[in-house]
Amino acid sequence: MEPPIRYQSQEGLIDALVGFANMARVKGLNVGVEECLVGLAAAQLGTIKEKSSFRYALKAIFCCSPEDGELFDEIFDEYWGMEKVGFTSRMTYFNQSNMQRDPKGSVVMMGQGQTEEAERENKEITGANAVERLVKTDFSQVAQVDHAYLEALAWKLWKQMSLRLKRRQKRSIRKGRLDLRQTIRKSLASGGLPLQLQFKDRIQQKQRLVILLDVSGSMDKYSFFLLRFICALKAHFSQIEAFLFSTKLIRISEMLEPKLLDRTLVQLSKEANNWSSGTRIGDCFKEFNRSYAKRVLNGRSTVLILSDGLETGDPGELAKETSKIRLRTRQLIWLNPLKGMAGYEPIARGMKAAMPSIDVFRSAHNLQSILELENLLIHV
Amino acid sequence: MSDQLTQATSPQAIKDGFDQLGYVADQELATILFLSLNLRKPLLLEGNPGVGKTEVANILSNWLQLPLIRLQCYEGLDVSTAVYEWNYQKQLISIKIQEHSDKSEEEKTRFIFSEEFLLERPLLQAIRAKDVPPVLLIDEIDRADEEFEAFLLELLSAFQISIPELGTVKAVHKPLVILTSNRTRELGDALKRRCLYYWIPYPDREKEMQIVQKHMPGLEPQLIEQLVSFVQEVRQQEVDKVPGVAETLDWAQGLLALGFKNLSPESIETTLGCLLKSSDDIASFKGEVLSTLLEKIR
Repeated sequence: MEPPIRYQSQEGLIDALVGFANMARVKGLNVGVEECLVGLAAAQLGTIKEKSSFRYALKAIFCCSPEDGELFDEIFDEYWGMEKVGFTSRMTYFNQSNMQRDPKGSVVMMGQGQTEEAERENKEITGANAVERLVKTDFSQVAQVDHAYLEALAWKLWKQMSLRLKRRQKRSIRKGRLDLRQTIRKSLASGGLPLQLQFKDRIQQKQRLVILLDVSGSMDKYSFFLLRFICALKAHFSQIEAFLFSTKLIRISEMLEPKLLDRTLVQLSKEANNWSSGTRIGDCFKEFNRSYAKRVLNGRSTVLILSDGLETGDPGELAKETSKIRLRTRQLIWLNPLKGMAGYEPIARGMKAAMPSIDVFRSAHNLQSILELENLLIHV
Repeated sequence: MSDQLTQATSPQAIKDGFDQLGYVADQELATILFLSLNLRKPLLLEGNPGVGKTEVANILSNWLQLPLIRLQCYEGLDVSTAVYEWNYQKQLISIKIQEHSDKSEEEKTRFIFSEEFLLERPLLQAIRAKDVPPVLLIDEIDRADEEFEAFLLELLSAFQISIPELGTVKAVHKPLVILTSNRTRELGDALKRRCLYYWIPYPDREKEMQIVQKHMPGLEPQLIEQLVSFVQEVRQQEVDKVPGVAETLDWAQGLLALGFKNLSPESIETTLGCLLKSSDDIASFKGEVLSTLLEKIR
């Protein structure tokens, strides 16, 4: 058990506590006046008698998450736990500095605070910059070192996005309007008193998102991330159908479970090696139209095609099959990672052929461009 | 302060009280509960499923002999299920009955919007509790919508609810509020700042052994040690659903019921369903993995 703490006056405690709160704020905890007051009240309740209980008390007041908790422990140790100057004398020290208005004392503290602030600012700027930079970096340009970080960041952001989409969907399904006909009919039993109100439920429309992802050699760098993006969507969209294509078409809707993802990727990469010879988008779409379109497409589904449109087959075929897909869906969105390049025009043979059937043509070369899809997907 | 709360004179008193009721609270939780009771600040408990968040409220109400009012949150929870609702059917019948009475229109209206027709839901119950402050448990707040969170914010700061037809109801006794969250989503900062915060971690080996001991005194100490070590190891592995303390207890119960005295591959395989709740996880703890794990804990 750690030794009890004595402080000589109320003001000394307040000073020390405010100093601590300032430091905590500088270090990134969300601490305001209110927290300080509660902290003081907690100290007066006797938690200050022991260092550990004082720590627990302030931790509960100052922290909002387990991550905060870790940071807090560091700050607390740094502030109260200085090895040579014990907790008790630290209190007294603050006391004295308060009584004598010792400028030196406050300078030490302030100086410390400031360097830390400056340090943290620097860190934060680079930290924020790193995120910003990664969000805007073309997937194909991501350095090996950033790869894992980007993956984690992407996963987090996509999950949030997916969750938001789901929430928006759910919220629109409210208790429907009053069904007067049924209410009156039921009221016959109670002599005309409408005791049991009946409601009309809005019919839940089952909308479907169909995704076609190009995994050919030219898309190599992108498809890795895009496949993860599809997985993130899958986690929250119940009705999702996903296909991969390069020289042939594979349905992967069942393999999209996030925890199976790594296995799926390994399996796919093995096969993909055999494919990278070229992209036959037209043939794959034809196959899609023949085998799956009737089942997975209806007037309400949205089709999302992720491909660079570099067709090695017949562009005429691609144009025909794309328009067939378009006819069966509500909306056809084509995301082309190459569109992120400055000065890109869809003049590649395949892309040009498909353009007339596309409703929305966007890029998907970095995180930001994918996050911007949210606005489109709300209406899916 | 009411009589009941005088029991909570120090963190140690709380720790001992909880201990008697079979809940192993560490010094940190006891300190925070002590503060929460004395400062009357709501307590937000976060942690993974099965670490005993809800149980804190149960034990607290049990120990202080205060009524427990529980609100289970879910997506789409609204004011009519959480706060109050007018008893529409009763109102209608009352209108019918009063049709030929001499009361004025105004009196009739006031009558059907009187307390008699009010259906109290958990939050209003907690505010209107007459004799003693109740323990209000708002369970799994992370499942509720953000609008509801905003509403709660108002309630937790002023402890009053306004009902347009009746006026504002102010709490006679501020309830002791405990919120729990599994952290499936991040709660709003404003709500968190109203509360004391405590993250309940998975217990370490010693604490978990104490917990099992408390709940199942009939179990051989040697078996407790083995099974807790095993669970601790499982938590280190990559599993789909990490077993909480609740699962450990279930498992211990299962082993006890089947009369096992030792952990062996057979005893584990027959009872693993108590601990792991996903078929993939169970499948991954068969054969070799199991024997290496067993080897490790010996």
